[in-house]
Amino acid sequence: MLGLKIKLVDESEEPSKTTASLSTEKRSDQWSLLLVSVAENLDRRAFNQLFNHFAPLLKSFAQASRHEGWFPGLSEDLVQEVMIKVWQKAASYNPEKASATTWIYTVARNCRIDMLRRKSNTQHLPLENEDFWHEADEDTPVSLMRQKRSEDKVQSCLARLPKEQDEVLRKVYLEGKSHAEASNELGLPLGTVKSRVRLALQKMQILVAPEFRDEVL
Amino acid sequence: MSTVNHHPESSMLVDFSAGNLAIAPSICVSAHLHFCNQCRNELLRLDQVGSKLMSEVELTEVGDHLFDSVITQIDQLPDSSAPAVSSTSDMADGRYPLLVNKLINGSEAAPTWRRMSASVDVAQVTTGQKEYEVALHKICAGGKTPRHNHNGQEFTVVLKGSFSDEHEVYKEGDFLFCEPGDIHQPMGAQNGECICLSALAAPIKLSNPFGFLMNPWLRINPM
Repeated sequence: MLGLKIKLVDESEEPSKTTASLSTEKRSDQWSLLLVSVAENLDRRAFNQLFNHFAPLLKSFAQASRHEGWFPGLSEDLVQEVMIKVWQKAASYNPEKASATTWIYTVARNCRIDMLRRKSNTQHLPLENEDFWHEADEDTPVSLMRQKRSEDKVQSCLARLPKEQDEVLRKVYLEGKSHAEASNELGLPLGTVKSRVRLALQKMQILVAPEFRDEVL
Repeated sequence: MSTVNHHPESSMLVDFSAGNLAIAPSICVSAHLHFCNQCRNELLRLDQVGSKLMSEVELTEVGDHLFDSVITQIDQLPDSSAPAVSSTSDMADGRYPLLVNKLINGSEAAPTWRRMSASVDVAQVTTGQKEYEVALHKICAGGKTPRHNHNGQEFTVVLKGSFSDEHEVYKEGDFLFCEPGDIHQPMGAQNGECICLSALAAPIKLSNPFGFLMNPWLRINPM
């Protein structure tokens, strides 16, 4: 452990010269630019930069897993699998929809599930994990500005969450525990775990309050 | 009915976003997302939570060999992955979620409609897990299903048409969750057949040498 906190989106840094030209209203953080360059130019230098940034994060993410059947020896396997997928699937990355970091998180999540399923010998599932996240064609992208706002909101709220909400969110996202498993482990009623998560998400303005959900539709 | 808001509850979406939801409920959530822009947007934002949490972990050093190993593997990748050849069952439908069509076409044994009652047909699909039975149900126009109890949790997504029960009308894309003990009597809409995808949690099973012959699922589950 290096004990470093990294800065996620560093817009003050010059994007790599090799990166593709994106117009100014498009996503401009350096990781997204690098990822686009991997997709458009099979740019190995950009890929190396992405690797240097994300591999240590991915390894920590892998080590945080507390899934049944997971062990630390799998961590570097996951890093490799994710980075190979990143190379292979870079062309499907849409910078208008998500930051590179969010996109790579989803690749990592999917690889982690795939590795677990392979280990547990799930038989004859005619689906790959990414099929579960297949996007409908008519998907309307949310404006970049709204996305950026919501990313900022998530980040600033996460930093200020009460400890008990933070604890549950980390269990769910990093350790990979379902709400039910988290409730067992923490010795809390399921309803309490759910409401802690819900409170945190409401602060981040991720959840539409249930009473308004149907009206929004 | 425990949830009549036609969407998966937020904790399910969170578990889905974190990758912690079992296969069968994930299939239903994914099918719902195909139809529901609101939940798709919610999922995008939930993924941001996962990504922020991931990006704030303490870094762990990786060995120098790792990048070289990845590059070596990339160089050995086949030029393009061969497109999966799949049979196309007439049960598949271009308007269904891709994942549902893949399930139908890739099922170990081609799914076939089996008469369950006068107005309901059922076709099971293979999903490689035993916790839930995943199946398509077809209710004929105006068809009345028997009033029934649920023995286990059940997730349902309407793929085509609509049906109603004593509580609500469920239209294309709607998500419905029934808990054990919920009782309802679905009725197909008058204007056409209704097709749903459902995942029903396995009731306690007797282990026996005859496998599915004694599978308690065979008793039941018109919806």
